[in-house]
Amino acid sequence: MNWRKWNRWIHRELGFLFFGMTIIYGISGIALNHSVARHWNPGFISKAISIQYPDTLQKADVDRATIEKILVLTGEKANYKQYYFPDQDHLMIYLKGGHITVNMPTGKIQLTKIRNRPVFRELNYLHYNKPKKLWTWFSDLYAFGLILIAISGLFLIKGKKGISGRGGILTIIGVLIPLVLLIFYLWL
Amino acid sequence: MQRSILWVFIAFLAVSCNQTAKQEGDNQEASKTEQIVSATIVELLAAPADYQDKEVAVSGMVTHVCRHGGQKCFIVADDGETQIRIVPGGDIDEFKIEMEGSTVAFKGIFRILIPEVAAEHVEDHESKEHHVVEQSHSSAEKAEYFVEAVDFKEVSE
Repeated sequence: MNWRKWNRWIHRELGFLFFGMTIIYGISGIALNHSVARHWNPGFISKAISIQYPDTLQKADVDRATIEKILVLTGEKANYKQYYFPDQDHLMIYLKGGHITVNMPTGKIQLTKIRNRPVFRELNYLHYNKPKKLWTWFSDLYAFGLILIAISGLFLIKGKKGISGRGGILTIIGVLIPLVLLIFYLWL
Repeated sequence: MQRSILWVFIAFLAVSCNQTAKQEGDNQEASKTEQIVSATIVELLAAPADYQDKEVAVSGMVTHVCRHGGQKCFIVADDGETQIRIVPGGDIDEFKIEMEGSTVAFKGIFRILIPEVAAEHVEDHESKEHHVVEQSHSSAEKAEYFVEAVDFKEVSE
């Protein structure tokens, strides 16, 4: 068996073996990119609704009865945890799975419900190597496998479409793009 | 016979060494426990130098957990105003958002950033898009004081 056959074998077998890992890291990579850019939070889904309190409020007048009334209005009586005043004008009521913010001078109530975002939360858990232990070993193995997949991919095809032709040009472009962006953002 | 005596002697040494090590370990653990200073948030911030780099036990209601990875949270003092930043240390990876509104007891090291690092910290904080709006925990977020938690326990929900 010549080296090209070995090369194809490595590329094919590792490609199959690490298909799942590539999808995990690919999807969570996009999620983390946009998380860093602050477009959205991949870990949580947050939904807010507004309700009007029948009256305005003052810090000194807020007691347990007021809190009860707000909880009944929002339908969150069963989820109540604690409350406090972030500042003179606002009342924050903490709930299991969210919180209520009350603008006391206007009586505007904002109920925010927060829950874990399915799929992305789990993928990010893996991407950040939160499990540690065996996952560290397997993800290291994947990283090493990915390097082998990349290198073996360069030599899959001979001739004009291979590394000595069009493939080579694409490879150079693919290396130059991150390099140019790095120089632009880091040093210029 | 001589070999048997030698093995018994080695076994005795091993057991006694282990005992000594265990006792030393227990003593260290005992002295470590003694070093933990229980303090309120207000006490910590009133005389930060007294607590610098000491292991402290502090508790309060969690007012906010950072949405971007849970790498910090804030607890409020009994006065309802003074807050302190808690960052994960030791085996703690992150703080869960579910901790908000719960009273939590933290054990950790009280840290004070050196002025240069504190200035960088404030600059870094203010450059973040999601920190544009001032919130009740903003001053604690920018402060040079924080607790690096090594353990925590929810006291109440």
